[in-house]
Amino acid sequence: MEIFILGFFTIGYLVLAGADIGVGMLLPYLGRSADERREVITSIAPFFLGNEVWLVAAAGVLAGLFPELEGTLLTGNYLAVVALLAGWVVRDMGLWLRGRVDGPHWRLCWDGAIVAGSWTLALSWGAILSGILVEPLTGLVAALATVAVAALFATHGLSFAGLRLRGELRARAVRPTGAADERGTYALTAAALAALGVLAGIRLPLAASAADAGTLALLVPVILVLIPFLVLSQAWVWWTFRHRVSGPSYL
Amino acid sequence: MLGGMNVVELARLQFALTAGAHFLFVALTLGLATLVAVIQTRATLSRSPEHLRMTRFWGQLYIINYAMGIVTGLVMEFQFGLSWSGLTHFAGNVFGASLALETLVAFFVEATFLGLWIFGWDRLNRWAHLSLIWVVTLTAYASAFWILISNGFLQNPVGYELAGDTLRLVDFGAIVGNPAALVAFGHVLGGGLVVGGFFMAGVSAYHLRRRTAEQVFFRKSLRVGVGVALPATLLTAAFGGLGFETMQPAKLAAWSGDAAEIARVQAEMAARYGPGDYLPPVGWVSGSGMTMMTLFALMLFFSAASFLLMLFKPLVRGFRLWHWLLTAMIPVPFVTMISGWIFREMGRQPWAVYGLLKTSDALSPISEGQMLTSLIVFCAVFGVLIVVNYWLLARQARRGPDEVALGDRLELVPTF
Repeated sequence: MEIFILGFFTIGYLVLAGADIGVGMLLPYLGRSADERREVITSIAPFFLGNEVWLVAAAGVLAGLFPELEGTLLTGNYLAVVALLAGWVVRDMGLWLRGRVDGPHWRLCWDGAIVAGSWTLALSWGAILSGILVEPLTGLVAALATVAVAALFATHGLSFAGLRLRGELRARAVRPTGAADERGTYALTAAALAALGVLAGIRLPLAASAADAGTLALLVPVILVLIPFLVLSQAWVWWTFRHRVSGPSYL
Repeated sequence: MLGGMNVVELARLQFALTAGAHFLFVALTLGLATLVAVIQTRATLSRSPEHLRMTRFWGQLYIINYAMGIVTGLVMEFQFGLSWSGLTHFAGNVFGASLALETLVAFFVEATFLGLWIFGWDRLNRWAHLSLIWVVTLTAYASAFWILISNGFLQNPVGYELAGDTLRLVDFGAIVGNPAALVAFGHVLGGGLVVGGFFMAGVSAYHLRRRTAEQVFFRKSLRVGVGVALPATLLTAAFGGLGFETMQPAKLAAWSGDAAEIARVQAEMAARYGPGDYLPPVGWVSGSGMTMMTLFALMLFFSAASFLLMLFKPLVRGFRLWHWLLTAMIPVPFVTMISGWIFREMGRQPWAVYGLLKTSDALSPISEGQMLTSLIVFCAVFGVLIVVNYWLLARQARRGPDEVALGDRLELVPTF
């Protein structure tokens, strides 16, 4: 059950926040002017806080249910995790700050932070996930695998943008994948990211590194009871912002 | 300077700087969230436009501050596994449980509902919208609670048994009831309100002194700020006093500065744990403790005097020296809080888990180069962001309630 819980939050993160990362990576392609970029950002704005928190939860689950693995996994990927955190912080700050001052240079600077941060996030995930999947991974193969994972995030972002945007911005999001069925494309890229998460989970020594039985007996039931409430709180957000973007938001 | 430090010292510096940066923002979050929730309740009950404007203005400052709290918190959470895998290996079965509960019971809900509060401003029923800020506030408290349960375990480990080279959880009730954690929780909540109260009073006083257009708005806000600052200071001090009852002997000895007592504690610990140096850095402990106490006295006298002054309307309107002092006092609670944390954490050294695991044994097998790289990356990123965000906070505070993006009605184009 503890493996299900870790998988639930990790895959939830990859699918939900993966779309935010992808949209951030392709921000210059999707939005050609500052106003267009603001509208593109509006497609992820109400969700990104609630999406990234799935990784905070996954890390918390790792600390509580797999403390041994927490140490070896993070220490073993030290620089990739540091890059991931730095990218995450820079991306978030780009989102928060771009609208705080009204000036073209200011916005351009923080739009740049969103793009650079999103790419750093995607490539760090690429390095970490491909390192777990194929071991040992070096040289050109490692670089290719890393880029392939990053490309998957970008495609997932496009499919999400296709679902949320309208008009010319939507057309731009749909064009590269060439798919008329936006829901189908999103389901496909989401499934690919979920599969990546499952495969990585299979490669990790999860069963062998779970916490002591006493800790599991306390935490697992509590978390299982919590999960429906957490999903409901998120469902409220998804329901409130279920329509296509119809204008700029707070960010 | 960094070149002369070993990996443990670099890792400690990294943790201290990120934790300190995190706490600067978290403290104001705890205080301001509470005040914003109370003001929004008032606005919702009375439908008063003035209170709605207050909610939006103080809410906007709260969000600018909150965003930094999140990003510094992310680095905090991952640092346990990154730099201190010896701690997660040794104490993860016990220490990890409260960290896991923090993310799920508190932060997950807090972040989800905060997003809904910000972006759903005009889309939700006003009572639903009000309930969101209360959930956000209460989950922020829950977050502080579980983090201090984790910290309290490191300060005063309870509810465990030693099994080989790891700890095993045996009594979760004892961990949650740990006095070293509960007293700190009360102390930190009070401290958050002190920070929030002084902040609100200081920003309001700026506008009153400058005679900006928003006199009524900021007279009301000043009363809220000062009205909270005095009782919060007393509450914080009460919990702080209790804290001395739960304090480790070495920390107390270092604080007292009594050489004989320090030597006695060192001898006692050496007899118990084997030869070694068991004293915290005495200068840091007594210096930070003294700073905290001195600034507490300053805040107590100042907030008590302010409480009296605010009862007289002409003074609230026109006592400009007092206004200037109120604004100048804004940083003082922040400095006091950071001193308090230095006192608490430096005073725990050389232990990561008091009496069980030394800080040097908690370190990850990381090279000096890697540790130095991450330290430089985090310092550079947060250094820039802290400056930018404090500048934005000050700018937004100066500009006043007419230029607030939060809850601004944006031109809506029909959905299709």
